[in-house]
Amino acid sequence: MEAAEEKTGSVSAAQLRAEKRRRKLLQNSEDRMNRIVGFTKNDPDSSGRQAQQPRFHLDLDRTEPWSSSVPSPRPSPFLSETPGARLRLRTKGEEVSGSPRRGLQQYLSRFDDAMKLRSQLANEKPAQEGGSDVEELDPFRVFRLIGSILLAVFVRAFVCKYLSIFAPFLTLELAYMGLFKYFPKVEKKTKTTVLTAALLLSGIPAEVINRSMDTYRRMGDVFSDLCVYFFTFIITHEILSLFGSETP
Amino acid sequence: MATGCAWFLVLVSVFLCNLMKILLPTISSFMVQKDADQESEMRSEIQQMKKEQSSISMMDEFARYARLERKINKTTDKLKTHGKTNTRSHADQFKWNIVKQAALMVSLIWKYYSDPVTVVPSKWIAPVERLVAFPTGVAGGVGITCWLVVCNKVITLGLGAIS
Repeated sequence: MEAAEEKTGSVSAAQLRAEKRRRKLLQNSEDRMNRIVGFTKNDPDSSGRQAQQPRFHLDLDRTEPWSSSVPSPRPSPFLSETPGARLRLRTKGEEVSGSPRRGLQQYLSRFDDAMKLRSQLANEKPAQEGGSDVEELDPFRVFRLIGSILLAVFVRAFVCKYLSIFAPFLTLELAYMGLFKYFPKVEKKTKTTVLTAALLLSGIPAEVINRSMDTYRRMGDVFSDLCVYFFTFIITHEILSLFGSETP
Repeated sequence: MATGCAWFLVLVSVFLCNLMKILLPTISSFMVQKDADQESEMRSEIQQMKKEQSSISMMDEFARYARLERKINKTTDKLKTHGKTNTRSHADQFKWNIVKQAALMVSLIWKYYSDPVTVVPSKWIAPVERLVAFPTGVAGGVGITCWLVVCNKVITLGLGAIS
């Protein structure tokens, strides 16, 4: 009977010890989890953003079971490291994780830009489909076209026998460059196209793209003037030929 | 005379092509509106028949019920095929328009490949007379490609200003 009582007493003591260990484990569970995934308390970057690389290797050859009520006699891998080795490992981990983190952030920002551009393109597509071929005619543009028409008629009537028809045209374009500042500036909305979106995502700065688009637009204006000028010249020439006018 | 009219022929062709390009969406939307009216008419007819059918007892007037059921099915099928046909026909219209325009341009280029649409003294268009005359090679001539580009640009600007 005494032996039974002793046995009951030792079981309850064992139970109490087990209970104590269980409580201790539950109390430090968060710390243990952070150590497993690589966070430490003193690490400034561990404010919940992303996990650093783990500082231990997964032991695939381990034969002992992970879960055991008896504490394993093997020392913890964290405790067995020397402070110097731990510091070296930590620095190396930070360096290695710095560049992937930067690359990841860059990728995420590019992804965000791509999503924004995609939605912008989707919004602009119906507007562009409606008026894709129609070019906006601001006052300066109208002035340019009328000037080109009048010059073409004048050149056909009086000037073409002396020199090439393109010389007066070039002079006109130079004059337009000077007259541009006297006209009210019309803010042209930069259209987001697939090309501009692709250039932006390639890393080309927006300023460079805007300047290139502006230059391209100016070249388009000059080309329009040239087409109108040449067209008017030929039409005038044909009309004059029809009415029997001699070639000068 | 034929050479004299060449520039005019090309001009008129380009004008018609651009006009079709602008008018086709308008015509298409008109047709779509008409089709939409027809469709809504059919839908209201189906709804009316369904309402009538629900007021009839199948046990008492089976023949009438069955007749209505057949009519509803027939109109529903007609509505489905009507929608499919219209979508296909509008898409086909656009495709055919593009094909016709391309064929017209190719035929013009084929016809005036070696003949200029008009001829002017070559010193007038110096120093780009070769470019302007391409692909004819005639000194002082205006080639079909140059004239097509110029006409297209001018007509686009003109029609854009009008519309």
